[in-house]
Amino acid sequence: MQSSKKRFSFVLAMLTALAVVLAACGGGGSAAPGDEGSAEKPVELIWYTIGTPQKDVDKVMEEVSKYTAEKIGATVTMKMIDWGDYQQKMQVLVASGEPMDIIFTASGGFDYVQNARKGAFMELDELLDEYGKDIKDTINPAFLEGSKVDGHNYAIPANKELPQQEVWRFNQNLVDEYGLDTSKVRSLDSLEPLLKTVKEKAPDITPFAMDKNYVPYVPYDYVIQNLPMAVKLDTTDYQIVNILDTPEMKEALATMHKYYQAGYVAPEAATTGSTADLGKSGKWLLDRAQTQPFADNLWSQSNGYPITSTPASDAIITNNSVQGSMMAISANSEYPEKAMQFLNLLNTDPVLRNMVDSGIEGTHYKKTADNRLENLDESKNYDMPSYSLGNNMLLYLNPNDPENKWDEFKTFNESGVDSPILSFNFDPKNVSTEMTAVQNVKEQFWSSLMTGTVDPDKYLPQAIEKFNQAGLEKVMAEAQSQLDAWKAENGK
Amino acid sequence: MGSFFKNIYRNKALLFMVLPGAIWFFFFSYLPLAGTIVAFKEYRFSRHGFWASIVRSEWVGWDNFKFLFSTDDAFTITRNTLLYNIAFIVLGLVFAVLMAIILSELVSRKMSKIYQTGMFLPYFLSWVIVGYFVFSFLSMDRGLLNQILGWFGMERVQWYSDPKYWPYILILVNMWKMIGYNSVVYLASILGIDKSLYEAAMIDGASKWQQIKGITIPMLTPIMTIMTLLAVGKIFYADFGLFYQVPRDSGTLYAVTNVIDTYVYRGLMTTGEIGMSAAAGLYQSVVGFVLVIFSNYIVRRVDRDSSLF
Repeated sequence: MQSSKKRFSFVLAMLTALAVVLAACGGGGSAAPGDEGSAEKPVELIWYTIGTPQKDVDKVMEEVSKYTAEKIGATVTMKMIDWGDYQQKMQVLVASGEPMDIIFTASGGFDYVQNARKGAFMELDELLDEYGKDIKDTINPAFLEGSKVDGHNYAIPANKELPQQEVWRFNQNLVDEYGLDTSKVRSLDSLEPLLKTVKEKAPDITPFAMDKNYVPYVPYDYVIQNLPMAVKLDTTDYQIVNILDTPEMKEALATMHKYYQAGYVAPEAATTGSTADLGKSGKWLLDRAQTQPFADNLWSQSNGYPITSTPASDAIITNNSVQGSMMAISANSEYPEKAMQFLNLLNTDPVLRNMVDSGIEGTHYKKTADNRLENLDESKNYDMPSYSLGNNMLLYLNPNDPENKWDEFKTFNESGVDSPILSFNFDPKNVSTEMTAVQNVKEQFWSSLMTGTVDPDKYLPQAIEKFNQAGLEKVMAEAQSQLDAWKAENGK
Repeated sequence: MGSFFKNIYRNKALLFMVLPGAIWFFFFSYLPLAGTIVAFKEYRFSRHGFWASIVRSEWVGWDNFKFLFSTDDAFTITRNTLLYNIAFIVLGLVFAVLMAIILSELVSRKMSKIYQTGMFLPYFLSWVIVGYFVFSFLSMDRGLLNQILGWFGMERVQWYSDPKYWPYILILVNMWKMIGYNSVVYLASILGIDKSLYEAAMIDGASKWQQIKGITIPMLTPIMTIMTLLAVGKIFYADFGLFYQVPRDSGTLYAVTNVIDTYVYRGLMTTGEIGMSAAAGLYQSVVGFVLVIFSNYIVRRVDRDSSLF
């Protein structure tokens, strides 16, 4: 009997443990008494952001909280989710109603437009007017204008490089070795003599490095990234066209196929996920990338050998570039006003912004001048992705940054030209069935066509036909009617 | 009622052993069943949590299911999913039983264990790793197979853009990965067969082959039936890793590598409609459920003892 009693108490203990766990899961939801949110009694803001979780996050946030409690009566808890997991984990966390106040969102990480429409974020128009005035004065207005969804702001974009500009990047060692002239390069065709020389003289080099996401540049802006619907950049009639049907793309694909057959492109480009290995080995001549001021320095530093670049396109301000890094306030935030006050401070106060970015002065970094810092050894425990944490132009400069770094960014931003469909966001709600089919056709044909792996004379008509069978024309018609309505509304 | 509790008390040890599994099933299989209504809704977040979101989302009827049947692809993905799974079930059964018998007949126990472990290992590899193994064989310029073809002066093959090889490659790779795991079940039941049956057969002068045919296989039939029935229930589910990672998501191979799971994944990556992926999952499980009931019914007609229920 003794032993069965023991067993019973064990079961009881297990059940109690289970009950406790369940109760903990269901927790949350506290009442907000009147004097909360002062320096004495700060409220807690929970901030989800992207990046590899850092060891010292809590330590730094403790310091940050001291500062913000003083300034706005709020403390900050930061939860980092790793790059590859962010999209999926945030879907689950938001769907399950996990308490949170500030959420990192972008066109490529917990998709901004989509989740704004699904109701994940709070509409910020009034909060911005009331608590976010400094943001409006500080960051380039094109950011707030371009990130509107259906006429409303749902997130605060980080002030950083604004337009998107494509460049050809060159492995300068090889350029020097074979005496190539990169000054006349701009179009896809203009690359040929360079590629040819290297292919002949150094057969083990991949002349044109690319992965399966490569798409030849054509002067169009896509309605949805990587679906074949696009509007010409110099359009006057705002006609959405099938990019595969345009003379520019047809020509580019023919050129790509020519390059592929000549062996300028790696035979497996259409299924290659990343060219990082190639970058490390230095066995490539050129590739295409998006630039920002002083990008050559960054690239050279991370590769360990000199990289140079020349423009492959104009600098265009698109939805994609505007929505590259933003912070939204969660729809279930308990303290939306405080959250907005915090975002306001983060985007305008250099002390706070640099603390969040580089950690604690004296521990993670030391200041060498008013606007310069140098990382200390401890900074490896707090290595944050700067782009995702708010206004970049408040950041102190690193030892090898030029003094005029942020001025150059401002000049670059001024040089950008608006895409005709900047701030138009297609809502696929009415055609979601067709969208899945179109998406599948895209996956089937895209990479092999774009990398030149297959002959466009044969596969392009096939692809266009399959796209139309899948309902692309219906999707385009829907997009066109939304675009026309948007155009009328915005007086374009 | 009294006898019910008495029954429970009498079997408390057995019931206790079932408890962890039962709890697991309750929380991860039965509780989420209520969530399947999201398949009939257009999911939108509500600030009051998950259930509020589900309740407040709009009903859309069968709209979420339409995308599975709307194009020519519907036929391709259903055909691919079914045919591959049938091949896996049939070949998997034959080779797993064969391997189990061979392993059990090995005289050296030690060698048998070594082979068994060796065959078991691939099961623990993720499909991403297996994908790279396969790539090292099939790569266009550095792959082993193309090197060998080169030695014999034959033309190199663009493996990742020629669909005709892929049904064989996928079946082969799946067999290689799964067979060790599947054969363990059969090996365990072979080892559980009463040795006196074999002794009696040997005294009567039965050969090895006669012993296998007359004793081992009949004794294995119930477990073979159960394993097959369970596999039939999953016939509409394709192994995502196998069909996505191993062919390196190569578009030109879709005619033979696109299955329901990869289609759903590719289609919903951009729109991210929870309702539509829930619809796909519900469709797969309902078809699987019907097939299990149906095949179990047939099994029961033939041999009552071998059926699941």
